[in-house]
Amino acid sequence: MTPTTVRLSNIHKSFGGQEVLRGIDMEARDGDVISIIGASGSGKSTLLRCIPFLEIPDQGEVTVGDTHLRLSGAGHRFSRAEREKVRRLRGQLGFVFQSFNLWPHMTALQNVMEIPLHVQNRPRAECRDEAEAMLAKVGLAEKRDAWPAHLSGGQQQRVAIARALASRPRALLFDEPTSALDPELVGEVLRVIRALAEEGRTMLIVTHEMAFAREVSSHAIYLHEGRIEEKGPPEQVFLDPVSERCRRFVGARPDARGGA
Amino acid sequence: MDIAFIVAVFPKLLAGLPLTLLLAVLALAGGGAIALALSGLRASSWVGARIADFYVYVFRGTPLLIQIFLIYYGLAQFPAVRHSVLWPLLREPYVCAVLALMLNDAAYTSEILRGGLRAVSTGAIEAAKVAGMTRLTMLRRIVLPLAFRQALPAYGAEITSMVKATSLASVVTLMEVTGIARAEVSQSYRAIEVFLCAAMIYLVLVTVIARAIQLLEARLSPYRRPALARSPA
Repeated sequence: MTPTTVRLSNIHKSFGGQEVLRGIDMEARDGDVISIIGASGSGKSTLLRCIPFLEIPDQGEVTVGDTHLRLSGAGHRFSRAEREKVRRLRGQLGFVFQSFNLWPHMTALQNVMEIPLHVQNRPRAECRDEAEAMLAKVGLAEKRDAWPAHLSGGQQQRVAIARALASRPRALLFDEPTSALDPELVGEVLRVIRALAEEGRTMLIVTHEMAFAREVSSHAIYLHEGRIEEKGPPEQVFLDPVSERCRRFVGARPDARGGA
Repeated sequence: MDIAFIVAVFPKLLAGLPLTLLLAVLALAGGGAIALALSGLRASSWVGARIADFYVYVFRGTPLLIQIFLIYYGLAQFPAVRHSVLWPLLREPYVCAVLALMLNDAAYTSEILRGGLRAVSTGAIEAAKVAGMTRLTMLRRIVLPLAFRQALPAYGAEITSMVKATSLASVVTLMEVTGIARAEVSQSYRAIEVFLCAAMIYLVLVTVIARAIQLLEARLSPYRRPALARSPA
């Protein structure tokens, strides 16, 4: 049996009395590509952000690789040891944001090198070689010395993907990676993500790109009001879901590429 | 206007330039350190933040000249100050002037720093956090470099205004550029020539500083210019 890379158990999260996640259990095994879909406000981004503790779950357990954290109540005060654990857990993930979030005062290459060099403390020459290889992989080798502000949205997002890869993560998390892009730039980013899926990388993808999600994922999850309403292989979730709501959600978007 | 007189008085005024620069450098260095401490205080707690606010409110809300008078003439009224171990320092006009300039600069600099820190985007911080950076690494590599770049133009203005503010030290007998100028005027009664010379010295100084800040800014933030200005490698 392939090992579990990411596991969530009974995750709950509220914002100001509004319960956004109501007990989520899910698991990504090595090599899984899991797409998470759902309407706006269904909690899918919050769920993804709970994995590296960008949002702190009120309750539940998060496991990434060999690191495990359990929370039991809102307003949890992290001990020193727990904060260290959170950092270790984060170090095993690569996160790609909707709005790229490159560091504006660093060139593309410096952005990609930053974590290997200053967090993982690997040798500089090794970091540079690997960063250049990652930029080449996303098709931006010639932009290594460009500033983020001088790149298109699609190029910035590809640099952000290279940055996420450079820390050698066990799993990649994508939070609506194409939602902030002009329509003509969506394709170049999806191509890069698809190539990563074909390499067998473990990925969790929150997306509105239904056709893309159906193609690349090994599993799909449909969230509705903070609960998993439907899950299974993409053929089931996208083409023949059990849940009536899910059927309407995916059915309402026969050509999902044109959707929001 | 007597050109020969101007040529003669100019080097005399220039002799005060080292003291002017020293006052400015000490005020900026000390003020910067206090400003960083105020930022830490502001971040520490609600009470800390109110104390920092009050400090800034008082020092920005009152004239620097009065702050200098309060420290130079005012402190001596208290027997406790006169009998303290610090008295040999605090009765020196030089120390009092630096202290006043420093405390005043700290108030302005802490506000500039606050603006710079607020301009660091949450996205840049989240990207650092999610990659497992410690708080210290994040401050050193992401937050402070971005805040510093953001604050640089405003801080440049603060540097030049501190350089000009050092002229107030002349009222507590310091012989920096303005102090020497006043002494020259009282001997020669040629106020226009002497004070114009002094003004020129400050003007050149301020121009050089402003230009240096501009160059530093261009060097640190080349990405603020359009891409075409800088051909990609």
